[in-house]
Amino acid sequence: MTERNAMTDLSTNTALREPCVPGLFSEDEGPLLHGARCITCSTPYFPRVAHCRNPACAASHIVSCTFGGEGRLWSYSVADFAPPPPHRYDKPFVPYAIGVVDLDSGLRVVGQMVDPVESMRVGARVSLVIEPIHHDEGKAFTSWKFKLLDR
Amino acid sequence: MQEVVVLGVGMHRFGKTGDAIVGGKSVTELCRHAVDMAMKDAGVSWRQVQAVSAASSRFSGGKGWGLNGNDVVEDLGCTGIPVYNLSAGCAAGGNAFNVGYSLVAGGIHDLVLVVGGEVMPKGMIQTSGVEDINDPEYLRQRCVGMPGPAFWATLARRRMFDHGTTEEQMAQVTVKARKCSESNPFARFQKAVSLDEVLASPYVSNPLRLFEICPVSNGAAASVICSKDMARRFTSKPITVATSTVATIGFDDALPRSLAGPVPNGPSFHTEAKAAVMKAFERSGIGPRDIGFTELQDNTCYYELAFPEEWGLCEPGEAERLLEAGETTPTGRMPINPSGGFVSFGEATTAMGVFQIAELTWQLRGQAGGRQVPGAKVGLAQTNGLGGNATAAILKR
Repeated sequence: MTERNAMTDLSTNTALREPCVPGLFSEDEGPLLHGARCITCSTPYFPRVAHCRNPACAASHIVSCTFGGEGRLWSYSVADFAPPPPHRYDKPFVPYAIGVVDLDSGLRVVGQMVDPVESMRVGARVSLVIEPIHHDEGKAFTSWKFKLLDR
Repeated sequence: MQEVVVLGVGMHRFGKTGDAIVGGKSVTELCRHAVDMAMKDAGVSWRQVQAVSAASSRFSGGKGWGLNGNDVVEDLGCTGIPVYNLSAGCAAGGNAFNVGYSLVAGGIHDLVLVVGGEVMPKGMIQTSGVEDINDPEYLRQRCVGMPGPAFWATLARRRMFDHGTTEEQMAQVTVKARKCSESNPFARFQKAVSLDEVLASPYVSNPLRLFEICPVSNGAAASVICSKDMARRFTSKPITVATSTVATIGFDDALPRSLAGPVPNGPSFHTEAKAAVMKAFERSGIGPRDIGFTELQDNTCYYELAFPEEWGLCEPGEAERLLEAGETTPTGRMPINPSGGFVSFGEATTAMGVFQIAELTWQLRGQAGGRQVPGAKVGLAQTNGLGGNATAAILKR
């Protein structure tokens, strides 16, 4: 078995999957970002905030909520070279697209795209997924990403 | 309010660690060169300087605390004057100029030295300096991996979608910029490039290529500013600071700077830069159509297309046509970055706001040689920095 295949196997074994940063997202009940919303002005936040940051909001009233589901690719860029630390990635580095996605729930959020760079197009429908971003010490470290719906 | 003028400017040519230009010079040595040149240009001695307003670096000097102004004062001789160290990411030089301007305009001091200098580490700038899950920059790099050029590429890609901008047009901006740099003795690159050469350079962050984004550079710039009353003792033709402004990002900005934000209701690009420039127009009473030339922060050629439209220098969607007609060259109707810009200099991050003041001054004095904007009377400068910072300044003769 090649090293790459071994990694793939690890990444599907949930016991060996670990969020790259704890508390920001989960996948037990489907891919979800853990954020918040101000119920006074409806502003969505990810990650969570303690107070509403909308200067036009009359009274901050923050409640925890999750964001998931589908959205539309507003724009995207490509990491053609490996980003500097603290980013971590599997070697050899494979360029990836970075999406800025408007979730249908009103949150504009950045995230890596699962699909190859060549398949990207502004306006495409996407869905939130949780996928490995790198492997280390026998574990797959996961993050949120977006997957094209009509490929 | 006192009227404020630029009395003298100076610069150390930009280069890269180890090259024939900057070699192994420290940031203090680079700053010393720029400051000596600015003081000589102004005709003032160090003991006449009443305060220093300096850009803070997190990359070099400053005792690791961004105390770069203190380094400059120690090197020139401690006279006990006040030192202001300003941190605003890549907008720090513009912020330092604004604070120097405000001190003179407000009558606190009559003669102030503004300085910014940088020795940059190699490669892409590591935006987050700390591994702290409460730092949104750390989260963005750790969870997504979105380096600086990806921000510019995201905006450029969206412009291609909204306006039909092509990769060839973006490359053409670099061709124009590098042509200007041929006659700028302070530019790191002083050689023109062809469209084919730009398009053959590799993508750094698709759709942006290596020749279309600024590398990091070492360099320094300085300016001596003073009240108009005091300037009479030194020169009969000072350059007037019509205004200097600072602004920060709006809540509804289109591009999330950390992980996420609300979907905005309409176009809301570069809100910090636009706010700084609009405030400059308002305060000076000088409108966009009165601007003779502009030095804007072209970390990437994309900004040369987007910013002039957003500030009213031209109509929305018109920038590509003006570029292709040669109107953004020094002799065109809307000259942009006659210095050659960041694309030709590379970015010595905290020096850039002061670098722009030097170029504006040389242009307005008619000292810009082969890149001179004919009859330049009014110039606009603008910087952007991490944290949603931006600055603008308008100088006139």
